[in-house]
Amino acid sequence: MAKKIRIVLTLQLPAGKATPAPPVGTALGPHGINIVEFTKSYNEKTADKAGQVIPAQITIFEDRSFTFILKTPPAADLLRKAAGVDKGAAQTGRAPAGRVTREQVREIAQVKLADLNANDIEAAMRQVEGTARSMGIEVTG
Amino acid sequence: MTADLEAVEAVSEILSRFAAGGTSVEPGFELREEGLAAAVDPSRPATVRAYVPARDPVAAEAAARQAEVALGHLQAFGLRPIGELRTRLVHEADWAEAWKAHFPVLRVGRRLVIRPTWRRRRPRPGEVVLALDPGMAFGTGLHPTTRLCLAALERLADEDRLDGARVLDVGCGSGILAIAAGLLGAGELVGLDTDPIAIEATAANAGRNGLAGRLDVALGSLPSGRGPFGVVLANLIASLLVRLAPLLRAELGPGGRLLASGIVRDREAEVRAAFEAAGLRLVGRETLEDWVVLAAEPAG
Repeated sequence: MAKKIRIVLTLQLPAGKATPAPPVGTALGPHGINIVEFTKSYNEKTADKAGQVIPAQITIFEDRSFTFILKTPPAADLLRKAAGVDKGAAQTGRAPAGRVTREQVREIAQVKLADLNANDIEAAMRQVEGTARSMGIEVTG
Repeated sequence: MTADLEAVEAVSEILSRFAAGGTSVEPGFELREEGLAAAVDPSRPATVRAYVPARDPVAAEAAARQAEVALGHLQAFGLRPIGELRTRLVHEADWAEAWKAHFPVLRVGRRLVIRPTWRRRRPRPGEVVLALDPGMAFGTGLHPTTRLCLAALERLADEDRLDGARVLDVGCGSGILAIAAGLLGAGELVGLDTDPIAIEATAANAGRNGLAGRLDVALGSLPSGRGPFGVVLANLIASLLVRLAPLLRAELGPGGRLLASGIVRDREAEVRAAFEAAGLRLVGRETLEDWVVLAAEPAG
């Protein structure tokens, strides 16, 4: 089929628990795609990853049909897991919420390399490290 | 807010602290390969959006201020510039239903009517109503390439060329074309697609139109191994039609008719040349907006 693309966007959603409420409804509604089919399909594909945030990159075609692929969890989720914390610091700049090593940052950057639009591992690490610091997670070593 | 791609992960994390449902990220992107592929453009900022309930305006305002403070620290962490946080009120809607407004009952040609499954429509005399559930498979009836093909099918039916004919739909998507052919009088129907989602959608839509027993749908491409066919439908794209021309020709029986769509005007000459080289003779051509449908028959 002549699947001409209208737009590409990513939704960061709780695995297995997407609903038509925002951000799904507000992001996809204006493009007029079958939102119920999206949430049903997304929840089926991510049911085994409950508790994680799994981004879906959605491609919407000119006739309002669509497709989507799942991406790697956000760097923030991987950092929380690596640091063993539930949440980032309540306020940026206060006492560190947790710590990760540079090696862990490198591992996360490696996992996320394809999704981060980074040219190389160093650039990907810089993004992960910046995210860590904004979450109040200290990078050591 | 807008953010350099490098800062998107961090911005999204900060906003998601205040929006339990998650965030949306719209990157700048450019289209490639006749609009079939898209690549993210890292030189353009992305827009990150998050939604906070506004039922409690004071709490919503506080969330926005806290997010602003956290975002303000980002540049200190070595991430490239981000834009300003902008807020606006979005009215609650019935998101599970609102999208349906984009799919009206659609009349194509003189007789064909595409009816989304949730809408009612009493057929008028002579009308052929096709029930369709628009979803993940291409072919909702909204795109000019689909409409051109449907109109061409209707003309074939008017010329009595569709009656009882065996029909092959290459790249069947939602199944809309094969189903229309079946409703307009064709005989045995075969649908092919390389996407498993299309196979499921075609089978489901065939059932909705009472054609489950007549439309045989399979994962794959040409050759079908099921020929010859009286009518071959190929709503693809120019480059694919050029490549598949000899295989499309091979599926046609004597006096068979090929309807090839998904051709942008700029690429029409290329497709016509490939068809000619493959032993196909052009017998018809229609256009809608930027798109062309070509009708061809085996030459000689």
